[in-house]
Amino acid sequence: MLQNRNMAIRLIRLGFVSLGLAVALDPTAFASLGGDAASIDADAASMRGTPITHLSPAYTVREIAGDSSMDVREFSNARGVVFAVSWSGPVFPDLRLLLGSYFGRYASALAALDHPGSRRSVRIAAPQIVVESSGHLRAYRGLAYLPAELPAGVTSTELQ
Amino acid sequence: MNTARRQATSPLGLGLLVAASLLSACRGGTGTPALSGAPAPVPNVVMLVVDAGPTGAGGAINHAYVTVNVCASGSQTQCANIDHVLLDTGSNGLRLVASVLAAHTIALKPLSDSAGNTLEECMSFVGGQTWGAVALADIHLAGETAAKVPVQVMNDTSSGAPPPANCGANGTLINAVSGFAANGVLGVGVFEQDCGQSCVAAATPLPLYYGCTAAGVCTAENVPLTDQVANPVALFAGDNNGVIVTLPNLQSANGDPSVQGTLVFGISTQSDNALPSSGIAVLGTDAAGDFRTAYNGAATGIPGLIDSGTDSYAFSDPAIAVCASGAFVGYYCPAVAPLSLSAVNTGVGANATSSTVDFALADPNSFVAGATAFIDLGGGGGSTTFTWGMPFFYGRAIYVGIDQRAAGLYTGPYYAY
Repeated sequence: MLQNRNMAIRLIRLGFVSLGLAVALDPTAFASLGGDAASIDADAASMRGTPITHLSPAYTVREIAGDSSMDVREFSNARGVVFAVSWSGPVFPDLRLLLGSYFGRYASALAALDHPGSRRSVRIAAPQIVVESSGHLRAYRGLAYLPAELPAGVTSTELQ
Repeated sequence: MNTARRQATSPLGLGLLVAASLLSACRGGTGTPALSGAPAPVPNVVMLVVDAGPTGAGGAINHAYVTVNVCASGSQTQCANIDHVLLDTGSNGLRLVASVLAAHTIALKPLSDSAGNTLEECMSFVGGQTWGAVALADIHLAGETAAKVPVQVMNDTSSGAPPPANCGANGTLINAVSGFAANGVLGVGVFEQDCGQSCVAAATPLPLYYGCTAAGVCTAENVPLTDQVANPVALFAGDNNGVIVTLPNLQSANGDPSVQGTLVFGISTQSDNALPSSGIAVLGTDAAGDFRTAYNGAATGIPGLIDSGTDSYAFSDPAIAVCASGAFVGYYCPAVAPLSLSAVNTGVGANATSSTVDFALADPNSFVAGATAFIDLGGGGGSTTFTWGMPFFYGRAIYVGIDQRAAGLYTGPYYAY
């Protein structure tokens, strides 16, 4: 997390595309939800970046494909705050890393959820954070976002 | 000691035919040699029951359970019939809660990896994770036997290894019957192993299987296919190409007290499990176990599966209201019920059939208290998977074909109905 920030900066080769224009390697480490609260841990050292392009002027997307085939995208608003993180991969992601300081809110809400029949999908709307998680072993997908930080005009359904 | 070494059957019984066939296949070491002519077919049917679940489940709904006869591998005496094991067509492998095994005085021996460390697994269901050792068991279902099957012991820290920090942190661990609404889960999905090749030789081992030292230090590692938690059906001597799940239509739109159905082993291997040659949709899946589902006229599909481990039609439609109060908070509460909906399932690969499914959602606030089986229950807002859960099973026979196993004209992986 924070203590590994410098290592992550050195080793993550992160492609960065914004507003349809390619920009140089991103100078900041991959950050978890909420932006400056935490950055990804030393696992990120083995990750490689994949540039993706979008045309939304409202936010920036950065994508990291890790060695464990986990594809993670972070969405940053104009203030540089990571307002959403999405994931896709064969194993369940480490949500402590992706949700950062918001993980506790998610975990508490999940523990309070009394739906044992929801083994393939869960939607958690906790204070300040929404987590939509679905799938099964070999194919998990999900999105976590901070509703208050969504750029104007952006809906969660376009963040996949 | 529990010396029960009998067929896993429901106390409710399946009727004379099945009961007779079960008796004819009694094991216990004596065997039943055919007296004349062709050998008798292996009994291949066990009962399914949808009810409120095991003691401590807190009143399950739309959970289909089987009773599984489990023995410590190689033992004739450490055996028990474990009731209320959730039938799950959306996962692969048998997982049993440690406290349930302990109550039956069954101790399953954990597997060791090549370094001599205990093999443990962190399996994620989306609503929580399970941690525990991979151990060998002999499994008996009807007349079928799978020996030396790697199974997971859920909530097992007996080896001294607590879950790693990224497994079930901060209360997201499923650690008891109450959190899972079952004594275990019997995964009879479309694959032979739960993980498969992705866990065999990855440059960076997936955080799924772990080798744990005696000091309790666990490190993610690759695991050969033979040691991965396995779908027991794939390890039967015969009838090993899939299963058929059959549940009747419900009697009441507002919920039935309980329902009985059948789990049949094998597809087109015996006279009782033929795959019809027409009038059936066979949907091939991708390497993850999903076909494609296009909901409500969508141009492209999203991953879909037919999943008895989910209690509802689980999919995302922000236009449908979500219950804000009552016993079904978080499920769909359509403003006008029943709400008629439609989706198109399309197979992947060689079995690329398309099939349109019309279905409906009820207002669960109209459901009667105390019932356990509900048709037309919907939920899953925000899901990017379309999960055809238990409501889809009522009134159907669902075929689950295992990867690379042929059944007549069709080869798995597929779901068919």
